[in-house]
Amino acid sequence: MISIQNVQKSFGGTKAINGLNLSVRPGQIYGLLGPNGAGKSTTISLLLGLLAPDSGKVELDGKEVLPNLKTLQKITGYIPENVSLYPYLTAKENLEYFCKLSGIIYSKIELKNILIKSGLEENAIERRMETYSKGMRQKVGIAIALAKKARIYLLDEPASGLDPTSSSQLTTLLKSLSAEGATILMVSHDLFRVGETCDQIGILKQGELIKDIKTEGLTSIELEKIYLDFMHNKTSES
Amino acid sequence: MRQIIFNEWKSITRDRTIFFVVVLFLLSLGFVTYSNILKNRVQIESHHVAHNHIRSQWDNMEPTNPHGAAHFGTFAFKPVSILSSIDEGINSVTGNVLQLEGHTQNELTYSEATQSLNISKFGKLKPSLLLQMVIPLFLIFISFNAVSKEKENERIRILLQQGISLKQLVLSKSLAYWVVGLLLLSFTILVQFIFSAQNLDRDILLRLILLFSAYSIYYFIIVSLSVYLSSRLNNQTGALAGMVSVWIIWTILIPKLTGNFAEKVYPLPSRIDFVNAMREDRSKGIDGHSPSNEREEELKKTILTKYEVDSLSQLPINFDGLVMQADEEYGNMVWDKHFGNNYNILLEQKKLQQLSGFLNPFSALQNLSMGSSGSDLYHHLAFLEDVETYRRGFIKELNDKHAYGGSKTGEWDWKADQEFFRSIADYSYISPSFDTIYQSYFFDFLWLWLWIGLVLGLIFFTKISDITI
Repeated sequence: MISIQNVQKSFGGTKAINGLNLSVRPGQIYGLLGPNGAGKSTTISLLLGLLAPDSGKVELDGKEVLPNLKTLQKITGYIPENVSLYPYLTAKENLEYFCKLSGIIYSKIELKNILIKSGLEENAIERRMETYSKGMRQKVGIAIALAKKARIYLLDEPASGLDPTSSSQLTTLLKSLSAEGATILMVSHDLFRVGETCDQIGILKQGELIKDIKTEGLTSIELEKIYLDFMHNKTSES
Repeated sequence: MRQIIFNEWKSITRDRTIFFVVVLFLLSLGFVTYSNILKNRVQIESHHVAHNHIRSQWDNMEPTNPHGAAHFGTFAFKPVSILSSIDEGINSVTGNVLQLEGHTQNELTYSEATQSLNISKFGKLKPSLLLQMVIPLFLIFISFNAVSKEKENERIRILLQQGISLKQLVLSKSLAYWVVGLLLLSFTILVQFIFSAQNLDRDILLRLILLFSAYSIYYFIIVSLSVYLSSRLNNQTGALAGMVSVWIIWTILIPKLTGNFAEKVYPLPSRIDFVNAMREDRSKGIDGHSPSNEREEELKKTILTKYEVDSLSQLPINFDGLVMQADEEYGNMVWDKHFGNNYNILLEQKKLQQLSGFLNPFSALQNLSMGSSGSDLYHHLAFLEDVETYRRGFIKELNDKHAYGGSKTGEWDWKADQEFFRSIADYSYISPSFDTIYQSYFFDFLWLWLWIGLVLGLIFFTKISDITI
């Protein structure tokens, strides 16, 4: 369960988040859309405990994030927009390293299977990541999140750099995770991918959630129209 | 933490540039240490040969007038500490040979700085130069972006999400890079250890331990501060500029400022003033009282009264010997006054400089390095005091022989036999022990520990909210 209640966050005199309310229940994939500077990444940072809210409550799994950070980190997987892992390590070594930091030990076979599950080609697993494309690095980032067997996933542009096939595989993977009961919050600019993947979408503008939409039965074109309408015309509606 | 440390080591060993630079430093340190050990051996050997030659001249001296022998004098060689191959300290400028003779107290001569333009301009390539200046700079270059690069590519978000704290990250990375410094340091100490094995005793071992500890602590301070700044500053350029500035301030600026300040607060007299004041006191008497002719007249009266005779020719002894010894003793008082004053000033300057370790751990390191290598001011003054004590005994023995050896006043051609000259003890010197040094440098060691405490404090109180991710 992800819950953001009446959260305010400012940097200097600029309000990045302005009374945000958001709730994602287990088994749901929630997409957060918005232009640059809307507060999407700040929302993710608040959920990761990298930032403290000025006011309001940020909760994961029913617990406030900052006081319970250590416990919550164990059940939270995170994929950043740019997965920049250690170039001098192979994908498997990177995955093994991050797993060990989390206190999880996998066998070589298990590590390989996680990487394959995240969409990486088998022949790339033992190669140093300095030779990887952005999409391949992104897949290793997905593998790191998956390896934690998290109950909550926070994804910041997870499909960034992925080719259409890999993006589609990501959608399938996320849906299977949500079917297993995972709570997923996905921040993106990619209306099509969000529409394909998420059950529900929120549109964020100037730190406020201005629209909350269910995606069931909604085509990509309809979603784009709604999004653009709200960006250009409407100021607040939810 | 162990995982982060291993990962940093992997990054070093898999980065060819850093790996080759580490290997290059190891080779340089090995070569410089070994070549200085060889040079030390040559110097020890040449001192030994020269000493034996001078002693044999003394032992085989034809019957001579003791006063003539006092002018012939002898030489004392400042012993070369085994560990001065690591840190030569002030030895390259102080000289290492002292002529011991009557009437006058000479200064050490044959310093390498006065004999070599290169050394006087650039100093010598000693392991201490690499260990104090170059290695810390290298450690800064490999650690300045330890956390800032994680921040710049946002990897820090994934790292923190794995459940590690920022302080764990900073501390682990600090330890990882510190080990690189330890590797270079250990290699130097090992080379020294192996090639000086035949001369190792408890004292040298303790000094090596102190030397190793001081450099280890300093490296930890440098590395952990570098990694800490890397976590606090927003970009890699800022982190590098910040740490290089710290290096410049610690290594160049503060030592120069402290030196100048110490000279202002405790100024040494100019050489001309010093020499003139000595000459004046010796001829006219200390502070203008009791000039030499009056002193001689007084001594004459005392001796004639003591021996109950009317003239010097009636004395059963040689009055000239007594006059020379009295003049010598007066000269010693003048020497004690002026050189003692200079030594006190030098000691005060040194103490002030040692206090600066509170602000600058590099000063504390330099002091401990020179102190444990036996090449500092304390060792230098201890030698000068010891050799002056020997000189006084040596000249007194010659003057006493002149006075009481059987000659009469005015018999300048009277000669003491070879046996007498052989009986005069040779000069030998034992350097101050480790315990003395440890006491002198207690505060320097304390400053380094305080700096460790300060840096660890900074790391332990670092919170994610303090940094921009």
